Order: sequence, then structure tokens, then C-alpha cells
Amino acid sequence: MSAEPTAKTTPPPVVQVRDMDFCYGDSKALFDINLKVKYHRVTALIGPSGCGKSTLLRCINRMNDRVPSARVTKGEVLVKGKNIHDADVDLTQLRKQVGMVFQKSNPFPKSIYENVAYGLRIHGEKNKSVLDEAVERSLTHAALWEELKDRLQANALALSGGQQQRLCIARAIATVPDVLLMDEPCSALDPISTLKIEELMHQLAHEFTVVIVTHNMQQAVRVSDYTAFLHLGKLVEFAPTEELFTNPREKLTEAYLRGTFS
Amino acid sequence: MNSPTTPSRPPLRSVLLRSRKRTILGVDPQKLIKYFFGSNASVAIIVLVLIMVFLLREGIDFLPTYQRELQTYRRAGLEFCDIIDQPLQRNQALSSSLRQAVSASLETLSKTARDWRDAAFLLKRQVEDKTARPRESLTQALEKTPPAPEQIEVFRRELGEASAAAAKALDYPAVFGTAEREQLQREFAALTPEVTDLPPLLQTLAAEFSAKDREARTKFASLVQAQEEFEEATEPLQEVVDELKAKALETKEKAVEFDVLETNRLRLLEAAATETDAKEKASLTKEAAESVSEAVNLEKSIQEITGRTAELREQVEKYAVVIEKAAAVLPQDAGTGAARALVNEVREGIPAHAREMRAAAATLEGWRWDKPVSIFSVIGAFFFGTQWITNSSWQDFFGFVPLLSGSLVIAAIAILIATPVSVVAAIYTNQFASEREKEMIKPVIEFIQAIPSVVLGFIGISLVGNLIKDVSEWSWLQWVPGFPIQERLNMFNAGCLLAFMAVPTMFSLSEDALNNVPRAYIDASDALGATKLQTVFRVIVPAGISGILSAILLGLGRVVGETMVVLLVAGNRIAIPDFSAGPGVIFHPAHTLTGIIAQELGEVSRGSSHWQALFMVGIVLFAISLLVNWCARAVARRFEPHKA
Ligand SMILES: Nc1ncnc2c1ncn2[C@@H]1O[C@H](COP(=O)(O)OP(=O)(O)O)[C@@H](O)[C@H]1O
Ligand SMILES: [Mg+2]
Repeated sequence: MSAEPTAKTTPPPVVQVRDMDFCYGDSKALFDINLKVKYHRVTALIGPSGCGKSTLLRCINRMNDRVPSARVTKGEVLVKGKNIHDADVDLTQLRKQVGMVFQKSNPFPKSIYENVAYGLRIHGEKNKSVLDEAVERSLTHAALWEELKDRLQANALALSGGQQQRLCIARAIATVPDVLLMDEPCSALDPISTLKIEELMHQLAHEFTVVIVTHNMQQAVRVSDYTAFLHLGKLVEFAPTEELFTNPREKLTEAYLRGTFS
Repeated sequence: MNSPTTPSRPPLRSVLLRSRKRTILGVDPQKLIKYFFGSNASVAIIVLVLIMVFLLREGIDFLPTYQRELQTYRRAGLEFCDIIDQPLQRNQALSSSLRQAVSASLETLSKTARDWRDAAFLLKRQVEDKTARPRESLTQALEKTPPAPEQIEVFRRELGEASAAAAKALDYPAVFGTAEREQLQREFAALTPEVTDLPPLLQTLAAEFSAKDREARTKFASLVQAQEEFEEATEPLQEVVDELKAKALETKEKAVEFDVLETNRLRLLEAAATETDAKEKASLTKEAAESVSEAVNLEKSIQEITGRTAELREQVEKYAVVIEKAAAVLPQDAGTGAARALVNEVREGIPAHAREMRAAAATLEGWRWDKPVSIFSVIGAFFFGTQWITNSSWQDFFGFVPLLSGSLVIAAIAILIATPVSVVAAIYTNQFASEREKEMIKPVIEFIQAIPSVVLGFIGISLVGNLIKDVSEWSWLQWVPGFPIQERLNMFNAGCLLAFMAVPTMFSLSEDALNNVPRAYIDASDALGATKLQTVFRVIVPAGISGILSAILLGLGRVVGETMVVLLVAGNRIAIPDFSAGPGVIFHPAHTLTGIIAQELGEVSRGSSHWQALFMVGIVLFAISLLVNWCARAVARRFEPHKA
């Protein structure tokens, strides 16, 4: 549905995963992954449950670092050409560069304003007008500004589920990351909220590079420009979305799309 | 029930099951099980209610009893006397300050001379103590009739030898030069029981001191005189007050005796009325008839007291004029800085004291002996009373404020110390400690709970008290208010130990609160690039704050209810802590709600007003504990939407 990449002269990949193996302790979760995420495009990761989509996503902002004994055992991950496991990489800066939205909406039990401003505050921003401006911009991007501008001091937990998830998106983009990672952002939402977030996704692609994990294939078709299909920790096929869904190259992909297994 | 219309018999198994069901007293066993569990839960509630009922039953009579006592206090005229007597107490505080100022001033001149004299007299006494036995023998021999000269001679020689030896063995202080030492030694060796005059050197020293003292007294004549005048000023007034007090007390004692006999008589008559045996009945009636005393004519005796109001007022006025004059002539300078400060304090204190006395005297006219004591004023006298005085020959007062203030100050100290310690420990353990550290820290802190509080009391008495006292004497810590401290057992000491006792509760509950903060908040914060510290202080702690607050409140409940430690360590002075001392007040001793019950309940007679007052204290304590716990729950419920 979304626009096909028009020019082959687009900038180099924002995220590049090269020959990566990933292990949780002794058990390997990802095998020899190669992936190039294009600038200002939406890339979807699909695949059966437990195939390693979330793991792959979390490799991009090193959220897996928090799991003891989890590590990349081979290959590398580059964000804007820089290996994120290099010794001189500052994790704080990396995560400022690579934002993340979780499966279950998780706003802090603070005001709406403080939620959005949190990222800037922890990166040392104190100027009130800068914060105000960032909050307005982020909420506008997340299509929340009109709804919430009059009650920015209200507790975020008082919002509806869909609003909470969009607030989390606003919070993630407030620091203007290059890449926005989303792990099944709609799986806990009702259809109308899901629709709103899917609409949002197209808007976001104008400003950010988006990687979204979804187990809903229709959603992948609706929102993404590229799709990667994972199975048992291996990247089976990676292609422009339309191509992958209409004309899959691999038998496994075809079987999955047809619903032979899930 | 087996339906008789069913043609086929039900299977055996179901018959067995059903019949078994019926056998338990005709009740469904499911229900029985439910009742069993339900009743166990209710036992807790019932016990709680019983405790309340019991406390109330013992304590509630306190108010009418105390009302009666306060009524007697008024009718017998004790209250009237106290109107003047209470503010007059201030005189003693002021004169003691003045006395201190005088002696400090005099010492500036006479201290050396006095020290010499005292040192010499002390040495003489030591010699006399050591030679007590031969001296006694000699005295006896001298008193004997007829005298035995040879024996006297023997004893005299023995005493001389003993005195010489003792004088030689003395440890002469360095203030005496060699010549003086030798002279002293000679004089001591020559001491005999017949000569009552002091040896010459001692006489000189004494004379020197007297001269110095006289000199000092002339130098500070105005101060000395002012002090004497001030002290004497109270005498005529005190005389009148004492006469009135004696009269009031006599009336009160009569009234109390009458009351006792009267209640006894009524009880005997009641018993006689229900007694069936004629002989017993007769004896009870007779006994009742004997149990009478003359009723006191309160009105008449009170008139003997109030009749002297004018005289009393006159004396107060005279007293006020005299002390004001004394204040006016108080000299500006005194021997030392401290003495000058004391004099200034007195100079400023006297006008206020005089005003207070005059105001008190003015209220005398308005005082009515027969004004009833309302139950509200009794409640006020208990809850806002500033005196807790028991076993007094004058009047018992059961005022709650001294105990409450002690308890509150100690609890505040304990919470102020325990809160940072336990919250910080909880944050560290929950967020930063490695698994191995966690395994160490948690059991160790929880073990504190197992220490018997009486053991902590020992530690407080033997260790913490001395430690605080020693530290308070370090010169570079003298800026701390209240240092150096006077009492080893004080509120701060008790507060420290209670803090120690509250830490386990507060630590464990705070740690739980932090544990309950949803993982998702931490994920979100991490994903935004927050450092560990930022996540902890901007997300985890704020999200767990209500749990932490409720942990603190439960700690407070523990602290307020703790008895043994405060009883042993708080110093047990029943008075409102002197808050005018500023923050240094925490180093003063105090008594507490719990401590007073533990200390006094065993010693009072059952059913007396004192007994009932202690139960009232118990009731209030119980209410405070309930309130604190309820607050803790309310706080825990608030602002915890992630738990909903
Ligand atoms: N924290 C972890 N520790 C150990 N194994 C994990 C952990 N998280 C995920 N796994 C394993 O890694 C595999 C991939 O999981 P995940 O990436 O969550 O799959 P998906 O998101 O595609 O459902 C699964 O087999 C899962 O059991
Ligand atoms: Mg997943």
C-alpha cells in the first residue's frame, strides 16, 4: 500500500545488521542475520511467535544488554554506519538515537507533560521553553496535541489505552531519534486505536526511520515499505512489502503467508 | 434426598457420598469448611473488639472519678491556694539563678583562698579518719573517773605515733609549698582530742579565706544584697499561702475520709438489705451505723480561706513591689560573663513574674468554691493538662501532655533517623546490590527484629548513653545545641534505639514497595537512555513513594507502641520537655505513654483514679496506633494506579 522506494539514490541504510548471531546464554536465538533498514522507511518484522523478532529489534538499541549472559556472538550491528558495540559508543546516546515503543503501553505515573519531557530532562535539558516546544511538537506528531493540550498536567495513567500508547510514541520521539523501534505496538489495543496508530505510522515515516514488529500480516501490509520474515531465529526473506506478500521467493514464506502454520 | 419416585436405585458411590454429606450434623460439609475458615478470621476481629471493650470498661470511669477529685480540689480550697502558689514557684528558679551569679562573682576573688582552705581541711580530716581508733581510746580514757594517768600516757603516745605516720603518708597537693607542707605535717602530728582550736596554719588559711570572702562581698555588695532581698521578699507571702494551704489540706482530708466512710456505710446497708440471716443482718447494720463521720461543712471552711483574699492580695502586691525594686537595683556588672548573663536574665524575668503574680491575684476575687466542675473541663484537664503528678500529699493531677510530648519527640527523633537509613538501604538493596549482597543484607537487617528490646535497653544504658555523653564533650562539637549534655538517659538516646528497632519494618516494606514498581516503567526509562541513577530517582522511587510512605507510617506505629526501650532509656522525667532549649531539647529526659503504663500500673491499687488514668492513657495509645495504621493503609492505596 505504501509508496515504493522511488529512487535508488536514497542515503545508506540507517541500521545495518551483518552476519549476526545472538545467544541467550547457551541457546542461540538468532542465526546469521543480515538486514538493511532504509532511511525514512517503515520496515516490518514478521514471523511466528518465538522466532526472535523482539530479540532482533532489541539488538538495535542494545536493550538485550540488560539480560545477563545475553550477547551477540558473531557479526555486528551498525547504526548510521557506526558499530554499536564499539567501546566508544555511549549507551545513553545510542538510545537517544534509537527510540523504542513497547508492546504494552507503559507511560510513567506522572503528568502527560512530564512523560513527554522525560527523555529531554534525563539528557540534561532544563530550559522550559525548549521543553514546552518539544512537548507540543511530539504530541502533535503523535496526533495527541489537540486532544490533550488543555490537560497536560493530568496523570498519564488516566488516559485511554490507545491514548497511552500514542503518548508513549510521543515520549519516544521527543528526543528526535533517528530510528523508532516498535514491538507489536497495537497488540493490546482495540481496532479503532489500532487504526489510529497505523495512520500515525505513515506520518512518522516522514520524520523517522521506523522498525515495527508485528504478528499481524495485514498490519504489515498496511504500514510497511519493507518486510522481513523470520523463522526459528533465521531471516528467511527480506523484500519490499508488496513483493514479499504478492510474490514470495521462499517456500517457507509462502507457507507462512498462506497460514499453513503460524 | 432419595427421591421415592425414582424407580432405579442410584449408583452406590453417589449414595455413599450423599449419605456422608448428611451425617455432619445435617449441614453441608462445604458450608462447614467455609464456617471454619470464616470463624478463624473472625476470632481476630473478636479479640480486637474485646481488647477495646476491656480497655474502655476500665478506663471510662476515669472521667467521673477525676471529676469528683477535681471537685474536691476546688471545694476544699486547694485550687484557690494554687492560684498564687503555682506562679510563686517561679521565684525559686529566679533566686537560684541569682545565687549562682553571686557565687560565681564571689569566686573570682576568693576561689584560690577557698581552695587552699578546703584542701588543708580535707587533709586534716584524712588524718583524723586514719587515727580514729587511738583517738577514741584516748577520749574514753580521759573521761574515765578516776583518771588513770599511765593509761592516758600510753594512749597519748599511740595517738601521737599514728598521727605522725598518717600525716607523713598524706598526699599533699601541689598548691602547698615545701615549708607549708612541713608545717602542716607537724601540726597534724600534734593533733589531740583535747585541743579543739584549729592548728595555726589552718587558722591562717581560714582567716585568709574569710578576708577574701569579705572583700568579695563588699566588692559585689549590691549583688549580694539584691539576692538576699529577693529571696526574703517571698517570706511574708509564702507564710500566708502556707497557712491557707494547711487549712485547705485539712478540709480535703476530712472530706475524703467522709466520702470513704459514707460509701462504706452505703455498701454495708446494701449488703444488710439482701442478707437473709437475721444475726448477720443485725451485725451489718450495726457496722454501718458505726461507719459515719461528721460531714465537713465545706462552706464554713472555705470561708476561712476566701475570707483572707484581701490580705493575700495585699501580700502579693507588696511582694511584687519589693521584687520590682530589687530588679531595679540589680547591679549591671557581675564577676564573670556567665554571672552577668544570669543577672540579666533575672532582671528581665522579674517584671514578667511580678505581672504574672498580680494577674493571678486579680483572679482570686472571681474564684468560686461551689462552681461545678464540668465534664468537659475534666476532659480538657486530662488531654491538655500539663502536669502528671501522682501520690502527692497535695493533689494528684493526671495531665496527658507531658507523656504525649515525650512520646512524640522520641518518635519524631526515631523516624527522622530511621527513615533515611532504611529507605536508602532499601533502594540500594533493591536496585544496586548484587545477588550475593542481597542475600547478606536482607537477613541481617531482618535479624534486628529478633533482638529482644530489653537487650537494646541495656545497650542504650551502658553504651549509647556514655557514647553520646562523651561525644557531647568534644570541644569542636560545642556548636551543637544542647552540648555538652547533662543526662545520659534522654530522648535522643531512646530515639536512636527506637530508630534501630524501626529499621527492619521500614526497610522490608520499602523494599517491597520498590519491588512492586512495574518492570515496564524501568524498560521505558532504560529505552530512553536514562542512567541507572536517573531511572531509580526519577521513576522507581516516585512510583514506589506511596509504599515507602506507608512503610514509614508503619514504622512510626512500631515506635509509638514500643515500651521497654523507652522505659529503660528515656530518663523517665515526668515533665513537658523544655522546648525553650531549642533543638537541644532532644537531649533532655522525658517520660512516655507506654513507659508510664509499664512503670506505674503494677504499683497502683486496682480501681483507683490513678489506675483508671493509666487505662485512659492505654486507650489513647490504642487509638493512636489504630490511626497510624489506618493512615498507612490509606496512603498505600493512594496513587498506586498500576496496582489497580
Ligand atoms: N530474556 C530471555 N532469556 C532467555 N531466552 C529468551 C529471552 N527472551 C527471549 N528468549 C528466547 O528467545 C527466543 C526468541 O524470543 P522473542 O525474540 O521474544 O520472540 P518473538 O518476539 O518473535 O515472539 C524464544 O525462544 C525465547 O524463548
Ligand atoms: Mg515478541
